[in-house]
Amino acid sequence: MPYFTKLLLLIFCLVLLVESRKHRRRRWTSHLDVQRASHIFKKNQDLTKARKGKTEQLLKIDEHDFTMRPAFGGPAIPVGVDVQVESLDSISEVDMDFTMTLYLRHYWKDERLSFRSTNNKSMTFDGRLVKKIWVPDVFFVHSKRSFIHDTTTENIMLRVFPDGHVLYSMRVTVTAMCNMDFSRFPLDSQTCSLELESYAYTDEDLMLYWKNGNESLKTDEKISLSQFLIQKFHTTSRLAFYSSTGWYNRLYINFTLRRHIFFFLLQTYFPATLMVMLSWVSFWIDRRAVPARVSLGITTVLTMSTIITGVNASMPRVSYIKAVDIYLWVSFVFVFLSVLEYAAVNYLTTVQERKERKLRERFSCSCGIPHSKTMMLDGNYSESDANSLAGYTRNQMVPEEEKPEKVVVHLAMSNESNSSRKRGLKGHVGLRIIQNTHAIDKYSRLIFPGTYIVFNLIYWSVFS
Amino acid sequence: KREIKVRKLDSTKVQPLKSEQLLHIEDHDFALRPGFGGSPIPVGIDVQVESIDSISEVDMDFTMTLYLRHYWKDERLSFRSNKNKSMTFDGRLIKKIWVPDVFFVHSKRSFIHDTTVENIMLRVYPDGNVLFSLRITVSAMCFMDFSRFPLDTQNCSLELESYAYNEDDLMLYWKHGNKSLSTDEQISLSQFFIEEFSASSGLAFYSSTGWYNRLFINFALRRHILFFVLQSYFPAMLMVMLSWVSFWIDRRAVPARVSLGITTVLTMSTIMTGLSASMPQVSYIKAVDVYLWISFLFVFLSVIEYAAVNYLTTIEERKQLKKRGKVSGMYSMDAAQAMAFDGCFHDTDVDMDLSPFPDPCEENETRASQTNISNEDTPRLRRRRSLKGNVGRIILQNNHVIDTYSRIIFPSVYIVFNFFYWGLYM
Repeated sequence: MPYFTKLLLLIFCLVLLVESRKHRRRRWTSHLDVQRASHIFKKNQDLTKARKGKTEQLLKIDEHDFTMRPAFGGPAIPVGVDVQVESLDSISEVDMDFTMTLYLRHYWKDERLSFRSTNNKSMTFDGRLVKKIWVPDVFFVHSKRSFIHDTTTENIMLRVFPDGHVLYSMRVTVTAMCNMDFSRFPLDSQTCSLELESYAYTDEDLMLYWKNGNESLKTDEKISLSQFLIQKFHTTSRLAFYSSTGWYNRLYINFTLRRHIFFFLLQTYFPATLMVMLSWVSFWIDRRAVPARVSLGITTVLTMSTIITGVNASMPRVSYIKAVDIYLWVSFVFVFLSVLEYAAVNYLTTVQERKERKLRERFSCSCGIPHSKTMMLDGNYSESDANSLAGYTRNQMVPEEEKPEKVVVHLAMSNESNSSRKRGLKGHVGLRIIQNTHAIDKYSRLIFPGTYIVFNLIYWSVFS
Repeated sequence: KREIKVRKLDSTKVQPLKSEQLLHIEDHDFALRPGFGGSPIPVGIDVQVESIDSISEVDMDFTMTLYLRHYWKDERLSFRSNKNKSMTFDGRLIKKIWVPDVFFVHSKRSFIHDTTVENIMLRVYPDGNVLFSLRITVSAMCFMDFSRFPLDTQNCSLELESYAYNEDDLMLYWKHGNKSLSTDEQISLSQFFIEEFSASSGLAFYSSTGWYNRLFINFALRRHILFFVLQSYFPAMLMVMLSWVSFWIDRRAVPARVSLGITTVLTMSTIMTGLSASMPQVSYIKAVDVYLWISFLFVFLSVIEYAAVNYLTTIEERKQLKKRGKVSGMYSMDAAQAMAFDGCFHDTDVDMDLSPFPDPCEENETRASQTNISNEDTPRLRRRRSLKGNVGRIILQNNHVIDTYSRIIFPSVYIVFNFFYWGLYM
């Protein structure tokens, strides 16, 4: 019994060995046979495979010479163009260009691609078929950079109708030049245009036209820019001549952008106006506070200079004056003049002082003059002398502003009680002196604001 | 099973031949140039400049977009035609024929635009003449000299050359001489004025490979100066004028004059820093640097001038006081005078210490309250007044001189400097 089982086992092992070797041989020698063998099974009725022909067979791509346009050697082929603008991505003043993303659709008829169909419906093919057929070579004139989006695959659509009409659509982002005029910046409107043209085919080979006239250009409902208001989009077409190559059809997408001024109001105009107003504060400060008035003036000049530098950082270096430059420079001049005004006030005060001192000394040397007598000369009580190093006499002080206590003290200190005469003298001479130098400040308080307001009225009415 | 259908007589299909059959592409070996082994093939070049996109000082390069057209004759591409008209083919055909290998010498980056398809045009005439056009954007080097910036003119050039074929194989020439170079009507730059565009040609020698034909597109750019006048020159001039204001202010107002001087120095420094941010770091002095540094020097000197005035004033004072026997430098002044002197607000009369380093405001106030009582001493007042009279007069006369001269000297020297500067550089 065990002998028999051993024999059976041996035979079983041998059979297994032979079988496995057979399989290995088959795998290496004939793939096709194995595959065919493994794939023979009954197919379900697959609705997605109604047509067994491949696209190449359907559209007869092998016979299609993509290097030759439809009607090669014959009349010009008309190609309709339709554009839907998805977004205006950015407008750059420094580079003078704009970036736009759009769906560009071409419509033409190529008999070589016609196929028989029962229901007259179009067939949509994969975008990669474009490499094998002829397509119009439209390009964007004056474009700097452009690309066809290719995520997740190239954004290209190819749809062929049974009679040979083709709809070819792609999604493109293009950065194109736009000549901008900044003479009214930031109260300006820019008109930019995107131009489409065929690169190789002239007017006699390819006629480019807007498919639906003015309705060919559509925009997404939400198209908007942060800094601009898009006023209108419209289409035009024209012929362009190149001396070496001839006449070409050119299509234009024109749009007008009006800048929102609010940002510049907050950023530039408002700070400049505030600085000018701050410089007027100096006219109301006592002119004897020399460091205060000087540092107020000079710091407003410094701030204006910083504002001006800040604006020019984000602007192209143009060769003409912009509207914002006019405003900032006139404001700078106002601030500068307020510093000069105080220099004038200070200088005239010093000159006046010296004159008075000379006048006083002409009478006699100042030694031994009783206190009261000097009062008669200048009409004012001066506790300390005009010849001291600081030099500003009490003459400049407005008599009415004297504190009551001081008046009492002064009266008590005087040797002769001719207070009435003092006050009388004080009245005339003091008033005259105050009128002399204080006048510039008084006038400035009215002139500077008045002139600035007039300038503002003129500026905003001219540029708005 | 192929679908057999009866084709209508299609007027768009006048020529049933394919382009390859038309141009005998299978026989065409694009690795061999026309006239291989024989005389050099002449290739004409025509350029239309679409735009100069940007000029960068920092990188010392320029970016230009142009239509580059090649004209040559290839017998292998001739075909029979009854009307002698040229045939335009799709750009992809150039992969199958020979084309000249022109490249841009000294270019940094360049690309052929490829939206919506590669911007290439191929036009073949029946006798074999070929017109091959491309739209290219190229960034090329331009050596710039900034020693007269911003009153400078830069000369840049774009150079075309064949990469593989030297003078014995390919002769590159301008198709229409000097008129081969045309520009778009609207070509303009914001910062520059394009003075002239000209075409020239030359030979370039490479020691390893021989002589090559090189074509040059030269253009000169003159910078618009208004931007720099507004941005740098004008503020600098105003700052210098502002520093002169200090000579007209009373020299006893120490804080005022010092803060005026030092703030103008600060503003000049800011202006200079702002300009150098957009410039390459060159090893020589630019024209604008000369102006700004000399203006800075003027402003600096006005500060030094006031320091001299102040110092001499103090010395004189001390001398005079020592002569009269008064040791300390205490003066009695009223509130207004004290305010002008040290900038602190006083509402009572103080006894000021006029030494070079005056005490801070609080100490003066405390002293003021103490001295108020003593001010009522009339005889003392009288004597003080008399002393002050003579001394003050002498001091005022002596040191006022520097200021008086400065009021004339500084502006006139600055005006003379301006005449020299603008006369030299314009």
